Amino acid sequence: MRVRLLAYIPSRELLDRVGEISDAELLSHLAYVFAVEGISRVCSHQLVRHRVASYSQQSQRYVEVERLGEYVVIPKTIEERGREIFDALMEEASRTYKRLIELGVPREDARFVLPNATETHMMVTMDGRSLLHFFGLRCCLRAQWEIRELADKMLREVRRVEPQLFRRAGPYCYQLGYCPEGRFTCGRMEEVKKRYSLLGYGADGVE
Amino acid sequence: MRLRLITSTPDIEPLIATAILTTTGSKPSKAYEALKRQPGRAERIIERLEFHHGSIFEHNRLCWLLEADEAEVLELLLKSHFFQISRLGEGGWLMSANLRTVIEYTRRHDDSIAEALLESIKDVAPTVYRRLKEASK
Repeated sequence: MRVRLLAYIPSRELLDRVGEISDAELLSHLAYVFAVEGISRVCSHQLVRHRVASYSQQSQRYVEVERLGEYVVIPKTIEERGREIFDALMEEASRTYKRLIELGVPREDARFVLPNATETHMMVTMDGRSLLHFFGLRCCLRAQWEIRELADKMLREVRRVEPQLFRRAGPYCYQLGYCPEGRFTCGRMEEVKKRYSLLGYGADGVE
Repeated sequence: MRLRLITSTPDIEPLIATAILTTTGSKPSKAYEALKRQPGRAERIIERLEFHHGSIFEHNRLCWLLEADEAEVLELLLKSHFFQISRLGEGGWLMSANLRTVIEYTRRHDDSIAEALLESIKDVAPTVYRRLKEASK
């Protein structure tokens, strides 16, 4: 997975022109454009549920999937416990997809056999307020590992260019000072808070 | 009511072209770098665009200072829900939106705000500006 912040409006640029304005108001006027590459379709499905955002995703109607086996995301648990049967299914899916194309089935229909593990690339744009909400939910230890990794990488990117503005960004326990997950809490709030107080700030040592 | 563009996302047109190339198979980071090196290419891609393909115009933000009374702001928000507006002081507002909102507003409304919005994108999205001008003739 690769994440890169392509463009943004520096907060200073806006503040110099409008003067006093709260961070919450300011964030809703700032947008952050990311290139997100090499995530699975599982991850992109979760990502686009964040509706206050803009997405441009690689189309499977127009782009033929080649060498599927080389362009899939493999979860660690499958890597450790079921790599063989996973690979076998990818090979079968790839073969079936190619055969359908050869039979004249259009790409938009042949793609029905492609697995959720298939890699995709997309452009993602969120305003600062939506980003805070995204981090609140998806940096949380209860979030699924791939979108959590994505959220962490996006957070590193915005902290690189706006270290002060995003200092309080992170999972909701870090933003709010308490865990809003109730009985589903991970119970590791102190550890999580420490991690997000460091993530992205120089040699943080946070993986 | 008066408005003035005060800042915007840089490289708006290369970003639009990057969004198009992403949907057709390119990696966005590589496409963006290549388009920034060849500004004429982004222009050529945007020349061929259909304006109703709205989402590719959303990867940016434009911020304006707006001078207006509350009734005018309300009227503007009733015409388009996609403007983000914050009060700065008496009669002064910070307004922002993406280029899609600007395009849709200027194509649907024939008022002084539509005209001011269109003029405000002249330097930051010159190809889009030119095409919208031509379409309005």
